[in-house]
Amino acid sequence: MREKLSESIFDKLTMNFLRNQVLKNAYGNDDTVIAGLDPRILILWYLFFGIVPWFSGNVVFLMGCFILVSITTLLARIAGLVLLLFGIGVFSQTGYLFLATLLFGGDASSIVPLLVLTLKIATVSLASITVFSGLDPDRLSNGLMWYGCPERFSFSISYAYRMLPVLMEEFEGVLLSYRLRGNPPDCDTLKGKIRYLIYQVKIIIHAFYPLMLNTAKRSRTTVEALEIKGYRYAASKKEAKKVRLSTLKVSFDDFLFLAISFFWVSLIIFLSGYF
Amino acid sequence: MNVIEIENLTYSYPGESTPALTNISLKIKKGDFLAVIGNNGCGKSTFCKVLNGLIPHFIAGEFDGRVIVNGLDTTESNVGNLAYNVGYVYQDFENQIVRPTVLDDASFACMNYLIPDYKEKGMEALEQCGLSGKEKDYIWQLSGGQKHLLALAGAVSLQPDILILDEPIAQLDPRHADQIYEVLKELNEEFGKTIIVIEHHTEYIADYCKNVLLLKDGQVQWKLPVNEALGRVDELVECNIFPPQVTVAAHHMKVNGNLEKSIMLPTTINLGVKTFGEFVWNASFLKKEGIKGNRQKEKAVSFQDVKLSYHAVKGEDHIVFDHLNLDIYKGEKIALIGSNGAGKSTLMKLMIGLLRAKEGEVRLNGNNIKNIKVQQLSKQISFVYQNPEEMFIKDSIEADIAYAMQVREIKDWEMRTEELMRRFRLTELRKRDGRLLSGGQMRRASLAIGIALNPGILLLDEPTANLDIATRKEIMHTLNVMKDVTETVMIATHDMQLVSEWAERIIVLCQGNVVADGTRDEIFDNHKIIDMVGIRPPEIFLMGQAIDKKALCYTVDEFLQGFVRKGGKKYA
Repeated sequence: MREKLSESIFDKLTMNFLRNQVLKNAYGNDDTVIAGLDPRILILWYLFFGIVPWFSGNVVFLMGCFILVSITTLLARIAGLVLLLFGIGVFSQTGYLFLATLLFGGDASSIVPLLVLTLKIATVSLASITVFSGLDPDRLSNGLMWYGCPERFSFSISYAYRMLPVLMEEFEGVLLSYRLRGNPPDCDTLKGKIRYLIYQVKIIIHAFYPLMLNTAKRSRTTVEALEIKGYRYAASKKEAKKVRLSTLKVSFDDFLFLAISFFWVSLIIFLSGYF
Repeated sequence: MNVIEIENLTYSYPGESTPALTNISLKIKKGDFLAVIGNNGCGKSTFCKVLNGLIPHFIAGEFDGRVIVNGLDTTESNVGNLAYNVGYVYQDFENQIVRPTVLDDASFACMNYLIPDYKEKGMEALEQCGLSGKEKDYIWQLSGGQKHLLALAGAVSLQPDILILDEPIAQLDPRHADQIYEVLKELNEEFGKTIIVIEHHTEYIADYCKNVLLLKDGQVQWKLPVNEALGRVDELVECNIFPPQVTVAAHHMKVNGNLEKSIMLPTTINLGVKTFGEFVWNASFLKKEGIKGNRQKEKAVSFQDVKLSYHAVKGEDHIVFDHLNLDIYKGEKIALIGSNGAGKSTLMKLMIGLLRAKEGEVRLNGNNIKNIKVQQLSKQISFVYQNPEEMFIKDSIEADIAYAMQVREIKDWEMRTEELMRRFRLTELRKRDGRLLSGGQMRRASLAIGIALNPGILLLDEPTANLDIATRKEIMHTLNVMKDVTETVMIATHDMQLVSEWAERIIVLCQGNVVADGTRDEIFDNHKIIDMVGIRPPEIFLMGQAIDKKALCYTVDEFLQGFVRKGGKKYA
């Protein structure tokens, strides 16, 4: 049974699965409530929920914030893998600290400060997840540009997302070659399993050489195409930015979203005064 | 009116002593549909990059002479200004697409050049290129043909008068290839654009182009109207270009006296019907062939009720195979055909264990492969990818060929590597990185890698795609030689000349179903299947059919033997 479980996890964790999850995360949720919001509003919203929780030690306030960002995360329909990574991250943080406090003579009262810390981390992480993976990369980069991020930076974000599937495809192909032609050690015994893991890590390192060369070969055309399409020309003109950002519009939904968030935060600040 | 005028152009790449283009003088009229031909390395791509100003503005080098495009001197203008006049679609068009969604990419150039209604411009271009309704799609959702149309739309969006395409149909199945050329034809006729294509497929040149420019060693040999150009069979063959099969057949008949010397060589099937009007099919020639007694032999691979589906990024899972049943016998030489996305690559990946059947079983040499690891299967079955670059994982092809044998500690692997390099004529190139080889050399290297472990079954995905015709002939020769080396071979391909000259059994896939399975006569003579799947038999076969429905000839030689002149008159 245990063997089967580990096998099915290994089966799931193929490059194909990873690629699917990344794509799902970047593009699979462009029809959600969150994705429809104006990126500038969301970034503003994020500035609050990404910074303020660090400065508060009030459990009620933090819990309230946590509930709100949980709801937005649900609304953004984030891919499972990202949530799993989030879960592992937060759990390992507190788990590690909790063990440490027990070892050094702490007791149940140490749970409260731990809870505060966990809530802070969780709230900030979920807020980031909502904004950075709930928005599609293009809207995100437009939003950042509006706040004065250099054009090149925001272009690289959306270009990276364009290239990501290509890169992963290329990486998958190279790894496949290693799988088909390589001869990994048996992984029946525990020793074998460790050796197998070391082998896998080695292969991934080796795979970078062909991956980089293949990608470099492809990017030659891209560089020329960017030149023809006037990318360098636009980068030197101020008007180009205006043209690009003219698509951003604040709608009723955005105000509603801000109003609800504001109302909720006011409520929990009010409540936190009582406890 | 001339839209392009070139005077005494000589150009060498930086650091090269011999010029890539030598003393070119040329005029191209507005509204022309020009094919640029020539063998590999004759300067075709360089020539096109001169026209859009990438040379000398982006790629430096020694530039001498004058190039006037739409009244602009390219040395005095800049790439941006020229982009309004010349659109360019690369051979590796996929890398030309820089934005994540369709409309975004189509309007990207317009946005950069500060055109206020850039979205509308993008929409207009998409409409011209037959991509209406796809505006919101992401790039990775498009098929290969659609990506090409998008790259074209990106170039069309600025509404340049001139469009240049570098090998537009090299990676496409016939249906998509037709679609591209129909779009180009419309752009040429309706919108008055001048179109320049670099093209190896002379059948398409004959059908669509108006003029042909032959380049040889960086020099213009001639520029002629299409029929006259393609009729110069000997000259073209000397440059490794193969004229349409109809033209070649007529040329041979002229030489051996079966056609009048003064006759103009036909370039299309319609013209051929007139030329060959007096010929009749000699029915006694070529008997129907059946699949050689393989049915009694052992099964190499068998699919039993296989079901397979993919997870889609959005929405429901995509079912590729539903209750697929198929047997492949030892010793068969099989061609697997069907349009892009019919499931050809997926079928092969199931056989090598990369994909596992959701239901049903795949048996390899009698054993269910469900619980066998991929690397254990690789001694019995081997897979050569469509894109050879992905097979190069070491820094020299020698190391690449040796790798699988080396890690398995196979006895005498050094000797066998030597032997493989000799057989595939790679000994001279042994220390080179596979990625830096020419197209044909890359293919040969990938084939050598594929059979290194001496597998009983070999799977090849599109072994002749993206090759010029000369290299393709060479690979076809190599495949014929390999027939004796590997017992069972399956090739997935769009190349019907390869299919009809090489395969003994043809399996036709359509939307995950085997819709036909048999010899070339059984497949190509079945018009229902051909129409349904969109297969294009070799041109010479269609020529034969156009003269006589009963005629089944697949090569120019068979055509020459099978058709005789009524009354047997000869012209001296």
